[in-house]
Amino acid sequence: MIVIMKPGATPADIQRVIERVQSFGLGVHLSTGESRTIIGILGNTGGLDRSIFEAMEGVEGAVRITRPYKVASREFKPFDTVIEVRGVRIGGSGLVVMAGPCSVESRTQILETAHAVKEAGAHILRGGAYKPRTSPYAFQGLGVEGLELLAEAREATGLPIVTEVMSPDEVPLVCEYADILQIGARNMQNYRLLQAVGQVQKPVLLKRGLSSTIQELLMSAEYILAGGNYQVILCERGIRTFETYTRNTLDINAIPVLKQLSHLPVIGDPSHGTGKWELVAPVAKACVAAGADGLMIEVHPQPDLAWSDGAQSLRPERFAELMRELTALASVMGRML
Amino acid sequence: MIIVMKPNSTAAEIGAVIARVHEFGASPHPIYGVERTVVAVVGETRYLDREAFLNMPGVEKITSISAPFKLASRESHPDDTLITINGVVIGGKEIVVMAGPCSVESRSQLLETAHAVKEAGAHILRGGAFKPRTSPYSFQGLGLKGLEILAEARECYGLAIVTEVMTPEAVPMVAEYADILQIGARNMQNYGLLHAVGRVQRPVLLKRGMMSSMEELLMSAEYILAGGNYRVMLCERGIRTFEKYTRNTFDLNAVPVLKQLSHLPVIADPSHGTGRWDAVPAMARAAVAAGADGLLIEVHPNPAEAISDGPQSLKPERFAALMRQLKRVAEAVDRTLSTVPA
Repeated sequence: MIVIMKPGATPADIQRVIERVQSFGLGVHLSTGESRTIIGILGNTGGLDRSIFEAMEGVEGAVRITRPYKVASREFKPFDTVIEVRGVRIGGSGLVVMAGPCSVESRTQILETAHAVKEAGAHILRGGAYKPRTSPYAFQGLGVEGLELLAEAREATGLPIVTEVMSPDEVPLVCEYADILQIGARNMQNYRLLQAVGQVQKPVLLKRGLSSTIQELLMSAEYILAGGNYQVILCERGIRTFETYTRNTLDINAIPVLKQLSHLPVIGDPSHGTGKWELVAPVAKACVAAGADGLMIEVHPQPDLAWSDGAQSLRPERFAELMRELTALASVMGRML
Repeated sequence: MIIVMKPNSTAAEIGAVIARVHEFGASPHPIYGVERTVVAVVGETRYLDREAFLNMPGVEKITSISAPFKLASRESHPDDTLITINGVVIGGKEIVVMAGPCSVESRSQLLETAHAVKEAGAHILRGGAFKPRTSPYSFQGLGLKGLEILAEARECYGLAIVTEVMTPEAVPMVAEYADILQIGARNMQNYGLLHAVGRVQRPVLLKRGMMSSMEELLMSAEYILAGGNYRVMLCERGIRTFEKYTRNTFDLNAVPVLKQLSHLPVIADPSHGTGRWDAVPAMARAAVAAGADGLLIEVHPNPAEAISDGPQSLKPERFAALMRQLKRVAEAVDRTLSTVPA
């Protein structure tokens, strides 16, 4: 449920509503806009009567949120969520590019890539230390050593780090190193993991599952938000369809749809969304034109020697070229790059 | 198989190669490029003697086309195909916008829409006279009367017409009125119909089937090309997936893929690709950014009362606003949309 305050409501009016909500053992989330404040009620509001609030001073009305996701919905919070990571604002007027290799393979590989993507204008460094691979015999990531190399790359370039966490017990460890915790597509409905990242105060990049609907993605975001972590970034990375020419079918429709349904930032991943490096540039542009707040792009200094995802990784010079091309498009969309 | 002629080969030498292909019982399709001519050979090529061609004057080399689609492949035709209709070039630098209602409902509805989309900068008018509807009880289109209204709108506003043809028998009649024949998604693999439009000299807009792969789309284009009609446009309009929030899943990956694999112009249809008018502007922009040569957009003067596709139709003023945005997106990806008023 949300309580909508009148444009002229005073801080005292707002405070009285908050206290009233708290008296029922429920939490509040304030959205302060230019003209009015909206008070989102957290927790089970099933037994709550709207009229309790509607009789109060400064209240315009109380509305029950009809969607199954509550805190994630734009009804709950009409204004875009902006997440700040070491000075980089995600969900604001800037277009945020996260780039780097699929896996951290070695010190030289991650440092070389980090410098190259930084030089090209990327804002955040990606790199996997824990890798959910289809085959148990495939490279599973460098683990803690990978996290240490990522931290070293951050030191060297100043780029914040986004990296995947695969299990609830590893959340504290990955939190020590990462600036953004990534939940991979295969774990989008790993509810214990979602609850675990909901307990920490680190931004979370939540990737859409390969066979998950837009609503299921928002329900998974709700798990994290319901835990008290409001810093969630949604990521469209392609879904499974009958079309096998591309690795996945990037559902770019999801970008405007998620922006409508939710206040959370939305990122597009054209690398996984296509699986082919030569399609990454046009599809990255499509994501930006569709209104994405950012992009996640795989870059590797030598894609043919990459331990994972070589086929969809851009060489640093192609990535730099793409960044130059994106600048003009971003400005048409009213965004800075 | 492709017979590549030398840059300075003569018309007589090319003619001799074509005649020789006929002798072997295969079909030659000469493609006259800026630099050189190639002769794509399709049909029954098993008994073809490659050596026989290599020794002919003017022949440089012979290569095979590895893709199952031959005439549609970029290997056979490295330059982009340009289709000119009524002075509008499709497949070039200009983004070509085809707009109009799902169905022609009445004279006033169509003329009003045609006027509005023309003012906003559309190049081509769309409108269905023969409608493939899921339910046999739904409005099936005005038929011949619809075609006549479309022709009147063309007269009034100078916009070329794209409209659907559903059966082989109707092809001659629709070809009399339409500037572009549309093959709808449900008919993408109606091979009798593909043969029929392959035999007429009218450009064809071929829509991807909702459960067809990109390769199947290109194979259907091949049917039309093999019939001798080289003016085919491919159209991505969304595929069926488990996601039900949108009417279809608009597969924009297909835009750069089709541009790579084929020389044919690629058009995108964000109206069917989303099924929601409020997602059409974002996805129209995305399609242009992905490299589409044109767009097919449903516009209706009063979507709430449209007989078909109301939820995905834009009001004329929203369409005009979208066109202004698209002009800027086009310029950001080195294309133009010159018809949009400043």
